[in-house]
Amino acid sequence: MLWYKSWLDTRSRFLVGLVLLVLSACGTVFYYPQVLKLMPMASTIEASGDLGRRIREGVALASNYRGYIWSQWMRQAMTNLATLFAVLLGSGGLFSRASGDSALFTLSLPASRTRVLGVRAATGLAQLLALAVIPALFLPLLSPGVGQSYSPTDALVHGVCLFVAAATFFSLALLLSTVFTDLWRPLLIACGVAIALSLYEAALRGQSTYGIFRVMSGEDYFRTGRLPWLGLFSSVTASAAMLFTATRTLARQDF
Amino acid sequence: MADSLVIETADLRKRYDDVEALCGLSLQVPAGSICGFLGRNGAGKTTTIKILLGMARPTSGQARVFGLAADRPEPSVAIRRRTGFVSEDKDLYDGMTVEEIVRYTAAFYPHWRVDLEQRYLRKFELPSGRKVKALSRGMRTKLALLLAFSRGAELLILDEPTSGLDPVVTEEVLQAIVGHVAGAATTVFFSSHQIAEVDQIADRVAIVDRGRVAVAGALEDLRETYCRVQMVFDRDAPEPALRTPGVVRTRRDGRVLSVLSSAGPEGILDEARALGPVSTEVVAVTLKEIFLETVRHED
Repeated sequence: MLWYKSWLDTRSRFLVGLVLLVLSACGTVFYYPQVLKLMPMASTIEASGDLGRRIREGVALASNYRGYIWSQWMRQAMTNLATLFAVLLGSGGLFSRASGDSALFTLSLPASRTRVLGVRAATGLAQLLALAVIPALFLPLLSPGVGQSYSPTDALVHGVCLFVAAATFFSLALLLSTVFTDLWRPLLIACGVAIALSLYEAALRGQSTYGIFRVMSGEDYFRTGRLPWLGLFSSVTASAAMLFTATRTLARQDF
Repeated sequence: MADSLVIETADLRKRYDDVEALCGLSLQVPAGSICGFLGRNGAGKTTTIKILLGMARPTSGQARVFGLAADRPEPSVAIRRRTGFVSEDKDLYDGMTVEEIVRYTAAFYPHWRVDLEQRYLRKFELPSGRKVKALSRGMRTKLALLLAFSRGAELLILDEPTSGLDPVVTEEVLQAIVGHVAGAATTVFFSSHQIAEVDQIADRVAIVDRGRVAVAGALEDLRETYCRVQMVFDRDAPEPALRTPGVVRTRRDGRVLSVLSSAGPEGILDEARALGPVSTEVVAVTLKEIFLETVRHED
């Protein structure tokens, strides 16, 4: 029944995320014919510096459908939304006093804190996996609608990369939720960390081989066909460490 | 099991930052009793209950329930499996319906009493399909009691069960507690600062003051041993240094000297004769007087 409660707690966030990500996948696919129409105009744009480089890179990537999907959806919309929903799913929870739920009622039940947190984490991670994979699988399903095709394997691989990297932010938010009793600080701090990391990676301009957003977008897989094993392993290790710390923090907490 | 202790704490201490919530609280609750845990606001009642249920960890000292250490994770789960709890705020899951939270709670207890669940659903007239957040405070309290009673628990821990309720619902709740205990081998430990309700349903009492138990025992024993000796003098009452054990408080008011004793009047009467009072009277005291004299501080 802890699973049921955990699902009730997070279902609205999960369902909103799922709908948004699926809509975003649909929008990206069905906008492709418009992009093709605009492509001849792109060569006439004159811009120098970083902006020009970005435009030229975007045009080059959009010249084929796989590159367009990766640059517009995997690298931008999906990473931003997945990070946001990973943080939202990790924030609050069964013992959060700010979520309007009753920590004391849960604590009076014959279930250990570790078990309650474990169920909460497992539910959130399962939802995050669904958010990462299900919208991605819409790509191969919808692409024939615009006369294109997209590999289901690519969709799955990108979904898994996204899930593993976003799980780091989920774990961070969950850890922060065991430290702070309110709903907002975990949310804001985790979002702040995500923004700081993205700015750091942007400042390095692609020289960061193992940046978390690079892993999340599956850039290595897109460009070379190889999985970013070190980045994936680092993300899993960081998530496991944060979840373990969350368990220890919760065990010591007074309510 | 009759004389065994369900709850036992020894020199229990709890410090929150610079606040000492419990300062060596020692308490014993025998099996089968209804023990009222009386104290002023902030005396340490809720902290004690939280430690007993593993919700807070003691700074030092021991807390045992059913002989199991309350501050260790695994025994704490075993304690909660045998204990029903109603919190002061009647915290429940607002998003669930009455039926959902009943099913949810039942899933944790292998000895869940469906017969009691159905009986209390009818008795309390709880609407199964209504969301918990839409229940009145009285209904919420009744639902919390139903969830505690139906667990088939050997121990009920109730933290201010009647707080915020009107007199009618308070009476219903108290009767429900007494009625439930009468039909089950259950120990009840309930905190309150309402002396009248403790007097009404408890057979034992523990008065907690400033983080330690100041008075504890069977209510009948307290009524027998506590008394007030009132002496009237033909002059201003003297300020005696009474050596008799059990003197709780001495009060002078003009020609009247009043002594509250926790050990009967005999010793005090012997000492009082030497003071030469005009008249001496032994007066029975109520639980309210015992409580007020125990927790009232000159500061």
